Amino acid sequence: MIRERLIGASHAFDHPVTVWITAGIGAALVVALLIIASLSATGVVKDPFRKELWKRTLAWAVMAPLLIGPVLLGAAWTIAGVAVLSLACYSEFARATGLFREKLVSAVVVLGILCVGFAAFDHWYGFFVALFPLTVIVIAAVAILPDNPKGYLQRVALGVLAFMLFGSSLAHVSYMANDWNYRPIVLMLLLGVQLNDVFAFISGKLLGRRKIVPHTSPNKTVAGHLGALVLTTPLVATIAHFIFRGTDLDRPHWLILLGVLVSVSGQMGDLMLSSIKRDLGIKDMGVMIPGHGGVLDRVNSILLAAPAVFHYVGFFVGFGLDQPTRILTGP
Amino acid sequence: MEDWKFDPAHDLGLPLKERFKSLRRESGLIGTILHVLWWSFIRGYLRIYHRLTVVGRENLPKEAPFILVANHASHLDVLALAAPCPTRLRDRLFPIAAGDTFFENVPVAAFAALALNALPLWRKNCDPRDLEELRKRLVEEPCAYVLFPEGTRTRTGEMAIFKRGIGSLVASTLVPVVPCYLNGAFEAFPSHHKFPRPRKLTLTVGAPLRFPTVANDKDGWTEIAGKIEAEVRRLGGVPPRT
Repeated sequence: MIRERLIGASHAFDHPVTVWITAGIGAALVVALLIIASLSATGVVKDPFRKELWKRTLAWAVMAPLLIGPVLLGAAWTIAGVAVLSLACYSEFARATGLFREKLVSAVVVLGILCVGFAAFDHWYGFFVALFPLTVIVIAAVAILPDNPKGYLQRVALGVLAFMLFGSSLAHVSYMANDWNYRPIVLMLLLGVQLNDVFAFISGKLLGRRKIVPHTSPNKTVAGHLGALVLTTPLVATIAHFIFRGTDLDRPHWLILLGVLVSVSGQMGDLMLSSIKRDLGIKDMGVMIPGHGGVLDRVNSILLAAPAVFHYVGFFVGFGLDQPTRILTGP
Repeated sequence: MEDWKFDPAHDLGLPLKERFKSLRRESGLIGTILHVLWWSFIRGYLRIYHRLTVVGRENLPKEAPFILVANHASHLDVLALAAPCPTRLRDRLFPIAAGDTFFENVPVAAFAALALNALPLWRKNCDPRDLEELRKRLVEEPCAYVLFPEGTRTRTGEMAIFKRGIGSLVASTLVPVVPCYLNGAFEAFPSHHKFPRPRKLTLTVGAPLRFPTVANDKDGWTEIAGKIEAEVRRLGGVPPRT
């Protein structure tokens, strides 16, 4: 049973929602490429918008399989994938803020990320939640060691925020994988926040006029955000209905609230990263993904959405309640 | 409340390939771990295989900035000079390596950056801004360099003239230049050999030289290079150039 959940790739398409989302994303990418090709061919969109559209869409065609693949393959792959993503995000954050020069704090954050992945893998909720205060304690302690109180608050605060966002927060996706039916839930979350971004981008480009937070992100408009909210909410609510059919969550108002939660937390995550970049005075967090910037520029919207969705769904349904716990550390 | 001061990585925004070559490269956690592992291994190797002896170890600075210079006879030289330096300086001790040999292809550049922590200097068409960049980093960070002012390994065993580039890094500053003489490297690993032979190496470390009053111009640089060369020759018992 445990083995099947962790590495049972043959169960990838057990749930119809998994099939729909995977097929939907595949189809959407093909359609998007066709539309952009025809728009470019007919000259409806012009440079530089056309170039940007191409670059972004092609990057998606590479990123989508990388994000979805591990989720389909099994819980172990999902958890490992999230850990790699966490480390990549931390690396970008540390280099952009200068925190990477604090080797001890950095080492603790990395260790924390590995531990929280382990806790998720082990299905040990106690350790999973304990790791936040524990890591904070260790960061606060090791930051004393260089005996350089100037900048103490800054290096501790940056370390704590980094662990919160890329360790604790992102690892909620890993912990979801303890549920036998984690695939559709994780895919719903990934699809929800990423489409949310796409919806905001498109409705902003088409209708956007009033800036929402011009000092933080001059390109974000009220229309973009409302458009994303209006489009993402029913999409997530509908998918969630088919995943959580028959549970306490399967009521229209709770489902809609879940949709709102995904959309709003997704957009807040996006604006949070914009604020961070503004504060640092840099444009992109990295150079990994053409047209998107760094890894962090792409996964920013899941950082706040993951714990929000986890605890919201957890309140009604729970994750992996019927699965054996502490599979490695247990008696 | 005052704003925090952030200092993003100086090589931020460069693709990995360019980062290896960047004179502004800064190591992260992985780099630090690899540098420490590599140089610990090299220390052991030199001690066992070449029975490296360091004479005048007390002349090795304990804090950056400084520059170690020596005669250049083999690829062992940089190892023998950098290995005896304190481990906590690993991330800030940069061997200056020939760009055309060590940074042209990516796997070699990765090794030079991740294991050696080397920075490139291009021997042909050397951009004067590169030397300025190195001079600035030396004092600002502060960091330390290992370099060979002859510019290339001796093919005959004879020491060549020191190029004046070294002078442009330290003229009119208090940065100490530590002259060293490495004996035995030409016998152990001459440039036409593929692998080093287990010959004994002796590193003689001289007293640091400083050039705060020498003008930062071509004449000053030549003067500095000459003084350092004379000191290296003296340490090695090599007769002065006539």
